[in-house]
Amino acid sequence: MSELREIAARVRAVLESKAVKEYSFELKKTEKKELNTENTTFSLFRTVFDDSISVHVLMDGRVGLSSGSDLSGEGIEKTVENAVSGALSGVADAANTIAEKQEEETFVSGPQEADMDRFYDRLSELLETVEKDFPKIKVLQMIADHTRTHSLYANSNGTLFESCDGLYSVMMEYAGNDGGKTTGLSYGGASTHDLEKPFIELGSFWKNLEDAVASLSQTSFEGKFEGTVIFTPECLRRFLFMLSGNYLSDAVIIDGTSRWLDKVGEKVASELVTFSLKASDERLVETEPYTDDGLKAENVMVLEKGVLKNQLLSLYAANKTSRPVTRNSSRAMVMEPGETPLKNMIASVKRGLIVGGFSGGHPGVSGDFSGVAKNSFYIEDGKIQGAVSETMINGNLEKVFQNVTAVSKEVSMDGASVMPYLATEGIVISGK
Amino acid sequence: MLNDIITPQARYFADGMQSVMRGHENRTRRVSLLKGNLVQNIRMESRGISARVTKNGYYGFSSVASYTEEDARMVLKAATENALFLDRKAGKTRKGYPALPGGTVPVNRLIVDFEQKKIIDACKEVDAYIAKTYPDLLSRSVTYTEDSQDKIILTSDAASGHVTYPRCYMYIRMTALATLTGSPVEVTEILGGAGSFEDNFGDLSPVYPAVDALYLQLMDKKEGVYAEAGNKTVILGGKMSGMLAHEAVGHTVEADLVMGGSVAGPCLHKQVASELVTLIDYAHTALGETVPLPVYLDDEGTLAKDAVLIQDGILVGYMNSRESAEYFGMEPCGNARAWDFNDEPLIRMRNTAILPGKSSLEEMIESIDDGYYLVNTSNGQADVTGEFMFGVSMGYEIKKGKLGRAILDTTVSGIAFDMLKTADMISDTLSWESSGFCGKKQRMPVGLAGPDIRCKITIGGR
Repeated sequence: MSELREIAARVRAVLESKAVKEYSFELKKTEKKELNTENTTFSLFRTVFDDSISVHVLMDGRVGLSSGSDLSGEGIEKTVENAVSGALSGVADAANTIAEKQEEETFVSGPQEADMDRFYDRLSELLETVEKDFPKIKVLQMIADHTRTHSLYANSNGTLFESCDGLYSVMMEYAGNDGGKTTGLSYGGASTHDLEKPFIELGSFWKNLEDAVASLSQTSFEGKFEGTVIFTPECLRRFLFMLSGNYLSDAVIIDGTSRWLDKVGEKVASELVTFSLKASDERLVETEPYTDDGLKAENVMVLEKGVLKNQLLSLYAANKTSRPVTRNSSRAMVMEPGETPLKNMIASVKRGLIVGGFSGGHPGVSGDFSGVAKNSFYIEDGKIQGAVSETMINGNLEKVFQNVTAVSKEVSMDGASVMPYLATEGIVISGK
Repeated sequence: MLNDIITPQARYFADGMQSVMRGHENRTRRVSLLKGNLVQNIRMESRGISARVTKNGYYGFSSVASYTEEDARMVLKAATENALFLDRKAGKTRKGYPALPGGTVPVNRLIVDFEQKKIIDACKEVDAYIAKTYPDLLSRSVTYTEDSQDKIILTSDAASGHVTYPRCYMYIRMTALATLTGSPVEVTEILGGAGSFEDNFGDLSPVYPAVDALYLQLMDKKEGVYAEAGNKTVILGGKMSGMLAHEAVGHTVEADLVMGGSVAGPCLHKQVASELVTLIDYAHTALGETVPLPVYLDDEGTLAKDAVLIQDGILVGYMNSRESAEYFGMEPCGNARAWDFNDEPLIRMRNTAILPGKSSLEEMIESIDDGYYLVNTSNGQADVTGEFMFGVSMGYEIKKGKLGRAILDTTVSGIAFDMLKTADMISDTLSWESSGFCGKKQRMPVGLAGPDIRCKITIGGR
């Protein structure tokens, strides 16, 4: 029996000793080995041993949730006690339930042990490549880790899932810098199960480094106009998060403020948009085996050719609103590629921007957004004129995905998501 | 509160290495009512020990999610091995940092825990008041959040101590349909501050006038109009200028970002703002009063003092760790802080404020023929160039020296050092905000404050 299964038996015993009939809990043991650079010098090596326990109890329709980092007998007792006291002081709500009984399953993925010498060498190779091929890039920091996570979920309906996952990740923060001029910050990242390929070949590292250098050549325009925006894969991912939060998440469905409240089955976006959350996909390494609610994760289609297929609801929100629960709570997003090469997308833009980042808050419930276009390039008559700063974009989330004119053939695969470029029109673009 | 098993570990610190050990416990409480439904009811705790060991300028760090003397020795050993790994791989020495004055900082305040029932009952009481008084709302929520940090810090070559950071807040949100767009608009008020539930919400009577004032704002915003895009003369309210102090200026003068090429690097000792502007990152006391989130000792063992960043418009300093202070020839002021037990200290702001001036808000409004008074912000971001963006969640037109219609959500942006040079009137008031987290690898509670500032800024309207 694994160590976590032994701890799980102790958690069950404590729950039963307190007469808790309905419950779920998750246990985790994580070991992270993390290398940090300051500029391009490795300066910090961290080894972090983390434990966690989260307990969810349901007593007469009242829910209590507690979590802690102590897996000792005393820690388990305290965490369960906190959850019970939370439930006893809660509000009864028939929408509070525990996930149904599912077949026991163990999930294993990725390398369970880190090869730190090889990892260090791959990271050094990445830094050397940047130094040699991108002399106008200044690396602020790089954070890279191997994380091994062993987790166990169990509930009072008899479900037990166990997962062992190992993952290498790297994130680099950098800017274009030619001595006198600095661009805004850019980020590159990827995650992988193996160290077979150089990191520079993963995700959009190379393209984004090229863009950061190109950002040193600035152009500008005055006034504002309504034009076309081509979102890069990284920026598109951000907009899909915002879309999900604004129109499809628990809060806006429960309180009825979503503009897509009753639109399942209807066309709400351009037919060029097909977007799903994945539980298994050979292009991804950052998927979840089971959801936050303890349901075995499945691939979930969100938008298929512009038609809304599923909202993104937890078990509580699903019960509360009499809608189906979403069997995926991850951020493993896949937007299917289109037919148009990126260069043709750019060539077809009369006036607009390529937007590599969006500095703006989460839009209000209306979906109206307004923010600074970061790492962005001005396009006129199908040609990139140069990078821009102090440029804002204004629009509406819903319209962004309705007014799509093209989706690129090219996709970025960084292990966490699969994203193409997406062109949309009708965005208000304001210069200096 | 943590019992001290850390101090006895000093005897295991190795010669020839600089060592810091930290016992650390965080607690979070969260209750949220959405239209009367209890959608969050959470208690979270984390506790553990970390050690950081420096060898030839290389840092080794390790942490464990348990709290025994045996665990303390284990993380010290693992941190040492990590420092040696980097030293071996690099094959050359990095510049280190000198020892600092020692001393012991005693506990400054206690962390007091309350039953979840008491918290839920308070939220229900406030929610019931809103539901009864304002039944026409499209949506409403009442959310209580509380977090606290309890740290015992032991160093081999600086100060040590036991410090705590408790704070709690109630977020009240209301939603209505805008007349102009037919889309929902919302307003939020945040009440609370440092201390425990009882300190801030033992008496709920001050909450209800705040709810009433928020409803009036919502009614204004319901009839709101889009702001006109472009470069405008505005008054940034205290919450907005506090955000400016933190996001747009504060981050660019964090020494690690200066070393990474931030715009502040070449600007030291140069004019970066109007001479009306003075900006300080306060440690624990500002203008004779304790700041919202007082820091007495940082997580590298530096005794905390104020970091003066801009004095009368001139950039005079950065915020530092011990290492960066040595690099820049500055004095470390206690800015190296870690959020959780498994986090290493990073250079972080504490209580960052633009100081008040001499004008009154009334005369500032009267001085503007066509502009905006931007009252509240929902968020803010900036980067190393000083280019910033803030969401504006509440604001008003100013027409012919008088406040006009409310505006719908918008965004303002600019380049911090350019924009601050346009500041030509600063009010004699200071407004603190301390509920937020700053994100920089780790989260970190921060305080920020500012007066009303008249300046020019780019508004991203329609």
